[in-house]
Amino acid sequence: MSASQFHNFGWAFFGFDYGSWGIMTFVVGSFLTSVPALAISMLVGLGIAIASTTYLPRILAAWLDPFVDLLAGIPSIVYGLWGLLVIAPYFGTTIFPWSATHLSWIPGFAPAQFAPTPGIGTSLALAIIVLTLMILPITTLLMRDALKAVPRDLWESGLALGATPWEVTRRVALPYAKRGVWGAAFLGFGRAIGETVAVFMVIDQIERLPVNIYGGTSTMASLIIGTFDNALLTNSYGHTYLHYLAELAIVLLGITLLVNVAGRWFIRRTYTEVAGL
Amino acid sequence: MSSALSSPSTFAFDDLTRDRSGHVRRRSWFDGAMRWLLPLLYLVAILPILDLVYWVARGAFPSLSLATLTANPTPGVGSGGGLYAPLMGSIAILALATAVALALGFLGGLTTAEYLDERSAGIVRVTANVMAGTPSIVLGLFGYIAFVTFFGWGPSLAAAGVTLGIFMTPYVFRATDLAYTSVPPHIREAAVGAGARPVQYLLRVASPIALPQVLSGVFLAMAIGVGETAPIYLTTTAVVLPPLGLLAPASALPLYIWSGFETGLVLPSAIALAYEAAFLLLVIVIGLNVLVRLVAARARRRLEGLFQ
Repeated sequence: MSASQFHNFGWAFFGFDYGSWGIMTFVVGSFLTSVPALAISMLVGLGIAIASTTYLPRILAAWLDPFVDLLAGIPSIVYGLWGLLVIAPYFGTTIFPWSATHLSWIPGFAPAQFAPTPGIGTSLALAIIVLTLMILPITTLLMRDALKAVPRDLWESGLALGATPWEVTRRVALPYAKRGVWGAAFLGFGRAIGETVAVFMVIDQIERLPVNIYGGTSTMASLIIGTFDNALLTNSYGHTYLHYLAELAIVLLGITLLVNVAGRWFIRRTYTEVAGL
Repeated sequence: MSSALSSPSTFAFDDLTRDRSGHVRRRSWFDGAMRWLLPLLYLVAILPILDLVYWVARGAFPSLSLATLTANPTPGVGSGGGLYAPLMGSIAILALATAVALALGFLGGLTTAEYLDERSAGIVRVTANVMAGTPSIVLGLFGYIAFVTFFGWGPSLAAAGVTLGIFMTPYVFRATDLAYTSVPPHIREAAVGAGARPVQYLLRVASPIALPQVLSGVFLAMAIGVGETAPIYLTTTAVVLPPLGLLAPASALPLYIWSGFETGLVLPSAIALAYEAAFLLLVIVIGLNVLVRLVAARARRRLEGLFQ
């Protein structure tokens, strides 16, 4: 079988069984890490964007915002190293035992037989947290751009009618900037789902769905980098594995393309020339 | 935006006793709470990064010396020595990648901005924007299949550089496109009115205005490219010597951290060296980002001067 032929894995490809070349485990794994990370970073990012455009003295915002933008440029391998060596031990010894006792009523927070709480800390939860920090500057930047584009007239009319700054933000500025917020969500998600190295370093990769937040799992991207050595084998398993990874990459590419097209439909252009947005 | 127009005080209402339900007071209280709570969220973004920089610096400094920059890593990746080979590899890969990104991105951006009709230009722009969101791991796998195996370059400087160059292309493309389209129309009209041929306009009128902005885009692409691990991991191999040629494998700083991670990061010397590599990467990336800002600010001032 040559590398230029398309290997047909059949319908099992879209199934959950990794043993018969299914990818669904990793698609779900990708969403399980990206969606919570996106949700947190959208909330925090929206807060920062509102603080920057509505509440902070302008001079303070002018100092803090470039700093936040700069965070988007930190290489993911550095995040991964920090997550692995600094954050993981802290989470494993302090945060996880606490959350396993006190938050076990939340689904996924209870310790389980194959994913007991204490340990080295690398886990689904840590992957979500590192991912959150990595996309936070991007969602913040895009939403701040959107809020900054709200015309001053609207602001002043709202304030003149007696609305508080919060009310103007909530009922005038945010509806006006709605497209930008949606765009931030989609583009942030596109970043999160494609993130590879940092996620792999902290997720404690195993090729199955997570038992709880303290256990490992794997995403599409982390599976490619984590099991790439299999594809280097020169036997027929290696060849088939390369096909498998390539087709998995096509699925990942398809998802990110859809997400990015949607994001770009909401945001035509950005006004900040950092972060490669 | 509104801090000059501060929130309405409840004072007037107390005075006239019109706020009997406490409605205005409640609204004003909520606004005041937000005024203090929301800025605190900056801490969520900034504190982890300060922690990151602190730990990376703390891990790197005790063993950071000139030898770090001049000595090769000892064989058995991740066990000690210096970072000369990864640093040289990073520079070589980045240079090749920048050349590729300039060849594709600059020429593409120039064509789009100056020669394509609106419809085609729109299609190219959307494509470039969407391409900028391609996960680097997907591009890395493409690089492995296309350059390493199909073209038969093997894990090499050339394969890594070209793959990374393709990754950086959309950023250079967008900067170039934006720079040339934002040259004010009256400048073009003046040039054409004075009898400049299109080539003369492009070389002597538009380029001096646009190039600083292009440069800032190139620096940005380099800042993003130098820290990428996934495309390089799949297209070259970590070695302990500086790259010997285009078709020889080249190590790189992120790749070095990665191989340290793969071998377990158990030995203190390996951990220290990984931190040193991370520290160097941070310095390079932040330095490039500062350059981006300086050059972009200068380009913007220059452009604004043209409208006066």
